[in-house]
Amino acid sequence: MPMRLLDRCGADSIREFRAAANLRFNDALALAASGRRTAAIYLWGYVAEMSLKAAYFALIGHPETASLSWAVHISPAIAAGRAMGIAWPNSGAGHNVRAWAEFLVLARAINPATAYPPDLALAVQANGQRIGRLWRETLRYHKNFAYRYEVSQMREATEWMLVNSNNL
Amino acid sequence: MPRIHLGARQPRLRSGELVDQLAYELKGHRATGQPLIYEKEFEGGAIRTTVIWDAWESLSLEDRTSIILSAYTEAEGSEYRSRVALASGLTVPEATSAGMLPFQVITAIRTGDSVTLDECRKAMMDVGASTLLDQHRPQLRFATLEEAEATVKELVSRLPHSEPVWVTMQDFGSLDDWVDR
Repeated sequence: MPMRLLDRCGADSIREFRAAANLRFNDALALAASGRRTAAIYLWGYVAEMSLKAAYFALIGHPETASLSWAVHISPAIAAGRAMGIAWPNSGAGHNVRAWAEFLVLARAINPATAYPPDLALAVQANGQRIGRLWRETLRYHKNFAYRYEVSQMREATEWMLVNSNNL
Repeated sequence: MPRIHLGARQPRLRSGELVDQLAYELKGHRATGQPLIYEKEFEGGAIRTTVIWDAWESLSLEDRTSIILSAYTEAEGSEYRSRVALASGLTVPEATSAGMLPFQVITAIRTGDSVTLDECRKAMMDVGASTLLDQHRPQLRFATLEEAEATVKELVSRLPHSEPVWVTMQDFGSLDDWVDR
C-alpha cells in the first residue's frame, strides 16, 4: 500500500522550503503559460515566502534539515522583527513577504559581517515590496483575474528571489 | 458634463518636493506633527528608519523608500545615509493597522466645555492629525505614551483651557490578536 501524499511530506525545513520553492516556481510558470494568471501569482507568492524564510533561518544558523514550526520558530521570528521596528500586521503575519524581506535585510545589517552590500539590500527590500503589493495568501478566496502586467511583475520579482536565493 | 467634487485634501507633492520637505523635517527636529520619524540605531551602527506620513498615500512603497534615502543624503550627508540599513514609509492608517501607533489622543467634549469640537479638530489638524480614514474625524496616533502626552501639552498650549477635553487611549488589539500572541 503506497503512502499517502501528506504522509510522504517531510517536516518544514530550510531544505524543504528551497526545494519546494523551485518546484512551485515552475508550476506557476506552467499556470501562467496556460492563462491561469491569478493561480500563477498565487503560487509565486509562496515561492518568495519560502525563499525568504529559508534565508532568514539559514542566517541565524538553523540546521538545513531541522524542522521549522510556527510556535517555536516562525512566531518568535515575527516577534523579533516587530521588536526591531518592522511593520508587521497580525493578519497573515507568517505570509507577509514584504515584512520578511525587510526583516531579513535588517537582521543581516545588525552584524557588519553579515550585512548585505547596499545595492543588494535595496533589491531585497524592493522585490519584497513589489510582491507585497501583488500578493496575499488570501488570493485563493477570490475570483479576480490578474492582468498580464501583474503576472510579469510578480514573475520578475519572484524569479529575482529564486535566482538570488543562494545570496540571500 | 460630470460634476466632480474633489474635496479639501492637500494637493499631491511630487517626489522632489517630498525629498526637500522630508530633508527639512530631518534637520528641524519639530516637536509635533507629521511626518513622524522613528529611527532605531543598532549596536553595529546600522540605522532603521520609519517615516510615517500621510503624504505617502499615492506612492508605492519602493518610491517612499527611495525618497527617504534621498532626503537622508540631503539632510545628513552620504556617510550617515550609508548607515541607514532599512528605510520604510507608511501612512498613519498603514502604521496603525501594523500596530505601530497604539496610542491615540481623542476629544471628549461635554456641554459646558470652553472649547468647541471644531476648535479641537482644527488644533488636532495643526499638530499633525491624519484625515486619510475620515476627512471629518482627524486621528492623532503615536508609537509611545510620551509622544501622546507631549502632543496633548501642545494642544493645550494652542487651545487654552482645553485640558479636560483631551483623552489618551491605548489600543489593545482584537481578540484574535491576543489569541495569536
